[in-house]
Amino acid sequence: MTQMVDLPQVRGVKNIPIEEMFTSGHRTCQGCESALTMRLMVKAAGDRTIVTGSTGCMYVANTTYYTSPWVVPWMHTQLGSSGAAATGTAAGLKALMRKGKVKDEPINVISFCGDGGGIDMGLSGISASLTHPEYNHLVLLYDNESYANTDIQVSGSSPWGANSTFSPPGKVHRIMNTRWKKNMVGMLAAGHPDCRYLATSCGSYGLDMTNKLRRALTIGGPTFIHSIDPCPKGWDYDPKFSHELGMLAVETGLWVLYEIVDGELFLNGPSKAIAKGMKQRRPVEEYLSRQGRFAHFTEEDTKFVQSKVDDMWERWWGPGVIPINVKED
Amino acid sequence: MSTTIEKPEQELLISGSEAIAIACSMADVDVITAYPIRPYDTVMQYVSRLVADGEMDCEFIVAESEHSQFEIVKHASAVGARVFCGSSGVGWFYAFEALAVTAGLRLPVVAMVGNRALDDPGAFGTEHNDALAVRDLGWMLNWVATAQEALDTALMAWRIAEDPRVFLPCAISADGSFLTHSQVLTNVPDKSLVDKFLPRYDRGDKVLHPDNPITVAPQVNEDWLMEIRRQTDDGMRRAKGVVEEVHEEFRDIFGRGTPSPFFEEYMTDDAEVVFVGMGTLALPVRVAVRQMREQGIKVGFVRIKWFRPFATEEIKACLSRFKAIGVVDRDYSFGSPDFGGVLYNDIRAALYDSEKKPLVISFIAGLGGREVRGQNVVEMKDVMYEALATGKIDRDKQWIGVRR
Amino acid sequence: MGKTSLEVVYRGIFQKTLARNICRAIVLAARKEGKVGIGFGRYGDSPERNGIPAKYFAVVADTQEELEENLAMYEADNVDVTVAVDDTLCKGVESWGWYGLQPINQLTKNTGTVLVTSVQGRSDLVRDIHTKDVPYNIGVVQGSTSFSGLWVYKDDHTDVRVLGAICKVCPEMVSLESMEEAILEQWNNPVKVDSARKSHDRIETRVVEPGEGNPEEPFSFDLPGWTTMEEALVVRNVEQGAGFRGGDGGYEPVRNPYFKKWSTRTMRPVVNFETCIKCTLCWLHCPDSCFDVTPDGLYDSNMESCCGCGVCEDVCPVPDCITMVNEAEFEGNLSQWEDWNTNKDGYNKWMTEIVEKQKTQEPRSHGFHHVGQYREEVGSVTDSRNVVEGL
Repeated sequence: MTQMVDLPQVRGVKNIPIEEMFTSGHRTCQGCESALTMRLMVKAAGDRTIVTGSTGCMYVANTTYYTSPWVVPWMHTQLGSSGAAATGTAAGLKALMRKGKVKDEPINVISFCGDGGGIDMGLSGISASLTHPEYNHLVLLYDNESYANTDIQVSGSSPWGANSTFSPPGKVHRIMNTRWKKNMVGMLAAGHPDCRYLATSCGSYGLDMTNKLRRALTIGGPTFIHSIDPCPKGWDYDPKFSHELGMLAVETGLWVLYEIVDGELFLNGPSKAIAKGMKQRRPVEEYLSRQGRFAHFTEEDTKFVQSKVDDMWERWWGPGVIPINVKED
Repeated sequence: MSTTIEKPEQELLISGSEAIAIACSMADVDVITAYPIRPYDTVMQYVSRLVADGEMDCEFIVAESEHSQFEIVKHASAVGARVFCGSSGVGWFYAFEALAVTAGLRLPVVAMVGNRALDDPGAFGTEHNDALAVRDLGWMLNWVATAQEALDTALMAWRIAEDPRVFLPCAISADGSFLTHSQVLTNVPDKSLVDKFLPRYDRGDKVLHPDNPITVAPQVNEDWLMEIRRQTDDGMRRAKGVVEEVHEEFRDIFGRGTPSPFFEEYMTDDAEVVFVGMGTLALPVRVAVRQMREQGIKVGFVRIKWFRPFATEEIKACLSRFKAIGVVDRDYSFGSPDFGGVLYNDIRAALYDSEKKPLVISFIAGLGGREVRGQNVVEMKDVMYEALATGKIDRDKQWIGVRR
Repeated sequence: MGKTSLEVVYRGIFQKTLARNICRAIVLAARKEGKVGIGFGRYGDSPERNGIPAKYFAVVADTQEELEENLAMYEADNVDVTVAVDDTLCKGVESWGWYGLQPINQLTKNTGTVLVTSVQGRSDLVRDIHTKDVPYNIGVVQGSTSFSGLWVYKDDHTDVRVLGAICKVCPEMVSLESMEEAILEQWNNPVKVDSARKSHDRIETRVVEPGEGNPEEPFSFDLPGWTTMEEALVVRNVEQGAGFRGGDGGYEPVRNPYFKKWSTRTMRPVVNFETCIKCTLCWLHCPDSCFDVTPDGLYDSNMESCCGCGVCEDVCPVPDCITMVNEAEFEGNLSQWEDWNTNKDGYNKWMTEIVEKQKTQEPRSHGFHHVGQYREEVGSVTDSRNVVEGL
């Protein structure tokens, strides 16, 4: 593949493409924000796209056998294989096009994974895929902060203290998940200097997400996007609030919207406004108290989460980007 | 009718691994993935040289694990690329998930297994348990005995695997050290003959491409999986006929190959007692058979080439001619019937409804790459004749060449 | 000697613990009478999704041998009692692609009983339920639908009120006395025993005659076999969409014909096309691609595919432009925009009335809203660990 698909940046929400490349008739939960992420992902990419998806909700729920909600070609890949699937698809196309075995034309290659597949099991494969500048592809991680498909078990991306079927609050141990959520984009950015585009996103900011997808698909080489997806099933809230909880995650500063383009960091949307002091971070309590998975939290627990988020904003290199500070002599 | 033609061939001193690497080049493979593990990776060392020297045009990807290695070629195969991959021992096991789904997806991945003992303890020598582990999953499995056969079988493997009647992955097993690390004189055919024999891989309307919008492998429930398994079963049944067809055509074009695609017989015409085995075991056994023949002992050897698909009728017809069969497994199946080997159990099952039932005895030999020598073969012959005379099998004598 | 069985049809995740509690209590209560039993969720519904209909079964038998007739099965062949813990399930159940729409009374035996938790009357429910060619009974456990999430169980006594009613309509399964004993043992709460008894005493049923009810043929599919299915796990995708209703303007996606999803819906969006400012947000944020774009730039929610999540209502910036209304108010899945376009005054009048009516009703709560919510609603929150065991 010698060229990239022509995908101009979209100005204004009304110019988001009208065509659906992921349509109705998938067995996702009511208010599934990850389904929205899938929809926006291929809407932004258009019909000259191949998608591979690793095991997780967006496999098991979306595609029930002998039916498909996908308009673009789609193929399952294994739980830890989103990186390998992206590399394999792009490499196959590249070889076939170079040798004239198929028409040489730009085709988007997108591989997605959930947090379990991407942040836990598939980390090494994603890392390897980002070291191949010769292949154009995007790995999109939809993060609903647990193994929601398999019954909501804690993952390396689950928030501290969250209730899950592997971390139930008990009589002796109120907090079973004592691990802080992994910092995926910061880690990948720091470790893969040849990767030209990495970003965080959230489906509640549809235009921002659309344009990030298009930048990722047109800049060249392997790219990575990490989307936070509120999950009514595992987070336990009324499905109508999916959009609102996504916004709250950003406005409380728990989730920072940013992109790293050719090694330069740009904050986006409300995160940018907060960093510039044009907007106040909302207390994390507003976010935590709306979800059943934190219903067992005490005031101290909430304070602890608040202090960690404050650290992200005040002590990290770039808010929520890299948990390192340059120490002055 | 054999259309023997002038054979413009080149004779090279190469190993079995190198022979397969050359086959990759001749087959114009599009995507190859590598990951280091002894002994199979000798094939990838040679491939990388061919790529570096511009003698081969492919995407050569060094993966970060065997799992990714096999996943990458799986996905490249899905978009229509001809692919090659390989591994050994526990590396093959690290890729196990990818191996299972490749067969389920009906993708014609061709792989080389440089047979190696499974850890722990770490060991480099040959054992067949690595490749045999996928015997139930829909992989076609073949064992070769020489570098020449490795090259020829690789060319046939793409042809068979990529046949739309089959669309199943194929693993060529080559014994570690004996094939992967020793070089022999091998005839390399001219590329024009290969082009004549091996057409391009065409996945047809199963190819993943924006012009062919399909969804591959949605989640099933109990309403569907049995039908899907039956389809794969049918693919494997059809594969047997395709193996025969392709083998015949290969013999026509290249003027080489055993009469049967499935096994090779040696000194069996009037044999009473016959050894059965796979891979390079053939070499010492054949030597021993010749020596025993000189002493007037009617022994022979049958080397199984295709383990999956298993040529039940042909193997039954062949082996039921003899009085006793000693199946020499370079593998183990702890706790299996008679505490026998994997090949033994399949052979014995195949002979169950045969009108003439020979005595079948299991031997475990050459594990961990231990050499099988002439004296070991004689030892096995004695056990078999003793069993024929007494009607009883001495199970204590199944393990050959093991220190007590 | 004998065997009785029961199914609880429920909304995935929201009512999982509720359904499990009911089935477990039946088996434990029957044990008090020396019977044996099992409880099991329909494995094909797993992994469950919020709102998507699911089933839980309880089978009780006098002997182990009779019970074995129902072991190692996903679903009972037929049941003495069908319990629908949400009344909108009466419209039918579609849990998976190719399942088709299964009538709520599909497994109910001849002269068996369908019990529904609802604030509607029996005849209103029968109107929604597909006809059957044998008679059955219908009874209503009065009360609004109990929804909660996975981690925090809303203990509003729906479980024991259903259990009390079951003892009345199917005493051969378990007696009220045994049930009271089991409830006390399970929950250690005499108030719950009272709730069960009251429900037992109040429940009334009536016979639904053959042919009575919704005459529509529920959609169904014939499964292909291994010789007719495409090989290599390949499924053909749906086509790209085109203009609205096949015309030049607007847009209408092609939808997956084998899974429609509307049986997941407990509320549906009602749109005021007059106040819509065409901001696109409902369309943009719909996870199910439900909104058809009309040639005049309005958004018409397709009722075959809408699962009623309510995100559109939440993102709509215009007050009352999109209102989620109880699904029980509707029959059929026709287009609101087409109604409005043919008769604007008529539609606007209907729309205003139905929205106003919704505002007077107790809102249907679909799970957790904020900490302390259920405590406020029902006065107690159970230990969340009990809930976790329900998975």
